[in-house]
Amino acid sequence: MTIPFSYVNDDYCDCFDGSDEPGTSACLNGVFHCTNAGHRPHNIPSSRVNDGVCDCCDGTDEYASTVTCSNTCEELGKEARAEAQRIADLYKAGSHLRLELIEKGNSIRNEMAEQLSQFEKDKAEAEKIKEEKELLKNNLEAKENDALKVYREAEQLEKQKKAEQEKQNSIKEALEQFDIIDLDKDGLLTIDEIKAANVFDRNKDGQVDEDEITYFFGERESVDKNTFLENTWSLVKLVMMEQGTVKPVSEAEDIEPAEEGEIEDSMGDQDNEDLEQEEDDQGDLDHADHEPEDVAVQPSAVYDEETQKLVDAATEARREHTEAEHTVREIEANIRKIQQNLEKDYGLQHEYATLDNQCWEYEDKEYIYKLCLFQKVTQKSKSGGGEVGLGNWGEWGGPSHNKYSVMKYTNGVACWNGPSRITTVNIGCGLETKLLSVTEPYRCEYKMEFITPAACDDASNAPQYSSHDEL
Amino acid sequence: MTFQVIFLEALKLTFCQHEDVGAFCGFCKRLRSFKPEKSQYTLNLDTVIVHGNVLSAEVTTVDTTEEKRTTLWHYALKLSALKDATFRIELDEADPLYPRYRSQLALNGEPKPDGLKLISNENGKLTLSNIQGHKVIITAEPLKFEFVNLAGDTVVVINDNHQLLIEPLRVRKEKLDDEDSNVVEVEEEGTWGENFKSHHDSKKRGNEAVSMDFSFPEADQVYGIPEHTDKLALRTTTSGDPYRLYNLDVFEYELDSRMALYGAVPVMYAHGAKHSAGIFWHNSAETWVDVINYADSTVVSSLVNLVTGGQKKRVDARFMSEANVIDVFVFLGDKPNDVLRQYTAITGTAPLPPKFSLAYHQCRWNYVDEADVRSVNEGFDTHDLPADVLWLDIEYTNGKKYFTWDPVKFPTPHDMVANLTAKGRKMVIIIDPHIKREAGYFVHEDCTDKGYYVKDKDGKDYEGWCWPGSSSYIDFLDPVSSQYYSDRYLYENFPGTSKDVHFWNDMNEPSVFNGPEITMPKDCQHYKPPQDGHEGVSSYWEHRHIHNEYGLFVIRASHSGILKRDEGKYRPFILTRAVFAGTQRYAAVWTGDNVAEWGFLAVSVPMCLSLAAAGVSFCGSDVGGFFKYPEAELMTRWYQAAAYQAFMRAHSHIETKRREPWLYDASTLALLRDALRKRYALLDFWYTLFYEHTLDGLPVTRALYQEYPNEEETFTIDDQYLIGDKLLVRPVVEPGVTSVKVYLPGAANNVLWYDVDSYVALPARGYFTQDVTIAKIPVYQRGGSIVPRKERVRRSSALMADDPYTLVVALDTDNKAHGTLYIDDGETYEYLNNKHIYARIDYEPSGITYSFIDDKAHYPTRSWVERIVIAGIKTPPKTAKLIQGDKQTALQMTLHKGNDVLVVRKPGAKMAQEWRITFSY
Repeated sequence: MTIPFSYVNDDYCDCFDGSDEPGTSACLNGVFHCTNAGHRPHNIPSSRVNDGVCDCCDGTDEYASTVTCSNTCEELGKEARAEAQRIADLYKAGSHLRLELIEKGNSIRNEMAEQLSQFEKDKAEAEKIKEEKELLKNNLEAKENDALKVYREAEQLEKQKKAEQEKQNSIKEALEQFDIIDLDKDGLLTIDEIKAANVFDRNKDGQVDEDEITYFFGERESVDKNTFLENTWSLVKLVMMEQGTVKPVSEAEDIEPAEEGEIEDSMGDQDNEDLEQEEDDQGDLDHADHEPEDVAVQPSAVYDEETQKLVDAATEARREHTEAEHTVREIEANIRKIQQNLEKDYGLQHEYATLDNQCWEYEDKEYIYKLCLFQKVTQKSKSGGGEVGLGNWGEWGGPSHNKYSVMKYTNGVACWNGPSRITTVNIGCGLETKLLSVTEPYRCEYKMEFITPAACDDASNAPQYSSHDEL
Repeated sequence: MTFQVIFLEALKLTFCQHEDVGAFCGFCKRLRSFKPEKSQYTLNLDTVIVHGNVLSAEVTTVDTTEEKRTTLWHYALKLSALKDATFRIELDEADPLYPRYRSQLALNGEPKPDGLKLISNENGKLTLSNIQGHKVIITAEPLKFEFVNLAGDTVVVINDNHQLLIEPLRVRKEKLDDEDSNVVEVEEEGTWGENFKSHHDSKKRGNEAVSMDFSFPEADQVYGIPEHTDKLALRTTTSGDPYRLYNLDVFEYELDSRMALYGAVPVMYAHGAKHSAGIFWHNSAETWVDVINYADSTVVSSLVNLVTGGQKKRVDARFMSEANVIDVFVFLGDKPNDVLRQYTAITGTAPLPPKFSLAYHQCRWNYVDEADVRSVNEGFDTHDLPADVLWLDIEYTNGKKYFTWDPVKFPTPHDMVANLTAKGRKMVIIIDPHIKREAGYFVHEDCTDKGYYVKDKDGKDYEGWCWPGSSSYIDFLDPVSSQYYSDRYLYENFPGTSKDVHFWNDMNEPSVFNGPEITMPKDCQHYKPPQDGHEGVSSYWEHRHIHNEYGLFVIRASHSGILKRDEGKYRPFILTRAVFAGTQRYAAVWTGDNVAEWGFLAVSVPMCLSLAAAGVSFCGSDVGGFFKYPEAELMTRWYQAAAYQAFMRAHSHIETKRREPWLYDASTLALLRDALRKRYALLDFWYTLFYEHTLDGLPVTRALYQEYPNEEETFTIDDQYLIGDKLLVRPVVEPGVTSVKVYLPGAANNVLWYDVDSYVALPARGYFTQDVTIAKIPVYQRGGSIVPRKERVRRSSALMADDPYTLVVALDTDNKAHGTLYIDDGETYEYLNNKHIYARIDYEPSGITYSFIDDKAHYPTRSWVERIVIAGIKTPPKTAKLIQGDKQTALQMTLHKGNDVLVVRKPGAKMAQEWRITFSY
């Protein structure tokens, strides 16, 4: 779009981009340039031209307004230069201290790197041992397994034998009972004989009535030995047990504790699973082997000398293997820790490395605040009560050109009805390291002002104050 | 005592179990179950006197259930004819035990009388007429009033449903009195005391309720009785609770509800295509209103047949108040704008607000200290956002002691305010009516020593809990107490304030955290001027009598104090939460503690429309929502909507995330900036409308039916509205939409609506679908209107005072348009001394004329016309010439063929003088 030259700066907006009115307020998104001789030049939105407020120190923005602006550029420029000098001096002095911090930081990091490589070596060693121990363990366990096979088979046989014996005992007992009831010993139980036997008096009223007969014998006139064994005996035995005539057989005693044991085991498993899950979450341990099964090997059995030796050897191998595993894990944990620290962003040149885990306090009317760099921020009421977490180390949060000017501590204790507390730490250059102020501008969002020589980065701040602005 | 017993028996006859009214109310249950077949109220024709504009007569209640007619009670009736088709009915006991309360502050002075003539008195009916010819027909037995408009249509009928009731004041019988022991038995439970949760209301005067029913023949809808979150058009209440009017501090209020809120304005408007009418129930006690719209599908047809003979166009309403006299104004319209004007003629219009108060307000509970205020102030400049006012909530005070500053966080309030005023900005700070009970706090000590506090039922200073903890409440009914509070606002009594510090009266329902329903117990005692013979219960007013106007008493006292600061030079700005009839004379209103949810954005539209119709045009909601946090889309839509609502203030709860516009992402910030710029561009349009409101009493924002009373579709539309009669706004209040339904009224008159974003003209055609984006809400300018704009949006409205105007001319089908413009200094009362400009701008094909409506008034404004945009021009003129004074200037024009827009470039006409532009073709 082309406009006549007379339309430029004629206090009417012709161009969408406002380019035709750099000197008036006519265009909404225009820009007015204050020359500000003696101070820094400055661009202001054109909506500030002739609005009755002096925005440029040279007063050029109010050329046709009701106010008269005096030129304050010289004065402001002087102040700004003095201030710039003060800051430059501060940065200069601070940058020496910063260098020291960098050196210390680097040496700490070097130390850590050395430690790390040592640990890596240790780890390789330990893993080798672990592998050896595992091999040994597997070997010995195989032998142990073979030896124990005999015992297991014997045990099985014993069990079968025991069951057979019990069955025979039961039959024996039934036949004895039959003989007692079979008064005429004809091999048949008649109604009269039944009536005479008080074992059938279920309700204990002193006589065996029809109901009771039917209960035990059904509609039969008489009962022979086989029928008695097959049908009646179990009922009789039940009644006898109820009446306390016979004690329950040992089988029943075994069942209950076994069941309880099962329940306990399954609960135990669950616990183990939970544990495993937690550990898995942390990515810590590899639980490929099944310790609970190993433990399940019956310790009470008595073995012959040879076998016992094998078992003892295997047990020792298992212990050694576990130990070897532990050593590997320990070294791994140490490696992780160092790696984390090495990965931590301690600034452009690791100038903050020495400050890790160092704490500074600040007191106001009500609270004592504590900032532990790269760790956490807390608050403690002077009138008592515990510490409240205002955030844990999160990340650097400065603008992209000055990332290391702001620290963010996040995920503190949650506010009532609100988000988790967070703390923003603004870091400035200072000759000492100090927590200057703590405020809570937003509910549950804390702001700290913190100075340290670590922030006195001459290079990144110098241009702002360099002399070429001081026209 | 005998007739009292009979009276109570009569009451019992009509007693029946009915709908379960919310647990809050003894009297409305009692009154709602009062449904006699025939009213006992009868006018004694022999006592009628018509004098001046007043008819007075005796009314009695007569027991007709037995053959022998027994007079139960005597009442005094006064019917007055008032200017502008308005009548007033006052009905009180003829000789009450002691006076009943008459609300004191709603009326804007004594209503202006009209003439009243008795035309006929026959067959037990009186016919009266005012000067214009509006008629009142009074049937003597049972008592009934019918109001007839000039067209001969009956528009309001009173007591057609026989629900007129005034419970007479009685003396409590001692229980130990053996002879009358049966009297005690017939007393209904709750007569001499009620319980609500853990609270006891002593009710020393017993029952004293009043009730009256109103019928509106030919009405399609009724509106009014804010403040509720229901639809604008009121709904039938036969199932559920009636609409409740009882000023309450409601925590997290509900949507679509008839429950009581912070405000109570007992005015109701009835409208049908044929005519409009209205009534104003002048009563400050707790009030419940039942509505039956016979066209409503929920109303059973048997009831429709019974009451209206099958006629479905009729709405009935019933007002029930816990106490006071019956005092009701009847407005006969007959168009909606007539009725609205008639109401503001009685209760007053809003005064012209200081201009800054129409601009953008930034508030939060709380800006925590002076540094915070400074940084928010700078934030607006850094991000090139206009703002006029920063607000401070309760935390600025020294321990919630009003009229003090926190010495640590706000040590130099003068400097803080000066920092704002340097950019043309102002400050508003909060002052509540509860006073901290703390030894050494000067206000508390003064009030205690001098007896300025409201008393409890035993006559001791009432103590309740509010922000400061233990608090007492100033008794504003006592003129001395009220004056004391007013004087606290004087500069010498409140150091740190200046003319640029204005005030916010919150919690003035009043809010009492530990009181029944979070307000003051009804049996608290207020000042009553001492009078001989008035002792005991008649020596004070109970809080129940005055409750709904307590908040109005507060803001009246504040207003008088703020006004006095500079000898009445500057216009005060006050924001109030409690509302009653007449509130508009002193303060702007916001809709209280809303929530950052879409439903609350949506309801802000009908809520403010309803308040505007009830006189309170200066209304808005907390932009963004008070509770919770608005995500970017909701925040954007809220700013866009609020840019077109009268009062635009962002506010938020102390526990929520900060949300100044620049805390959102860059594109949202740009959208919020755009919304604010749209607001500022139209500030002079808003200002002109508020000036016109002081002249014509019409709402600044209007429901569609008010301007298009014959279009039935408009009667229930409450999601879009008009600003004046020129702009139509349909805020987007739904998430994620790409189009919305919009109704464009005026099809019968070929009205054109111009999309303000594109100048494209759309002929009125009822509903259509408008595409929207996140950057757009539908706003249209009516063809035939001219809207003044200021496009150079600056940091604050004050800095834009001298800026030039852009006039947007939207042509109607006759190629004509008309608009107005009001200009003054924006802050003083000098405008009342002819120091203002009120001009009309007329466009005809031959030219544009800018002429002073009020030719005695002038204002030396430096502003001028930088641009005239003429939309909808079919045959553009070839040349244009400005004539101002002796000067003639040829003007340049550009035609945009795509949308028929002609732009007159930089006419440069000065607004301080009249001018004319002529076109030649």
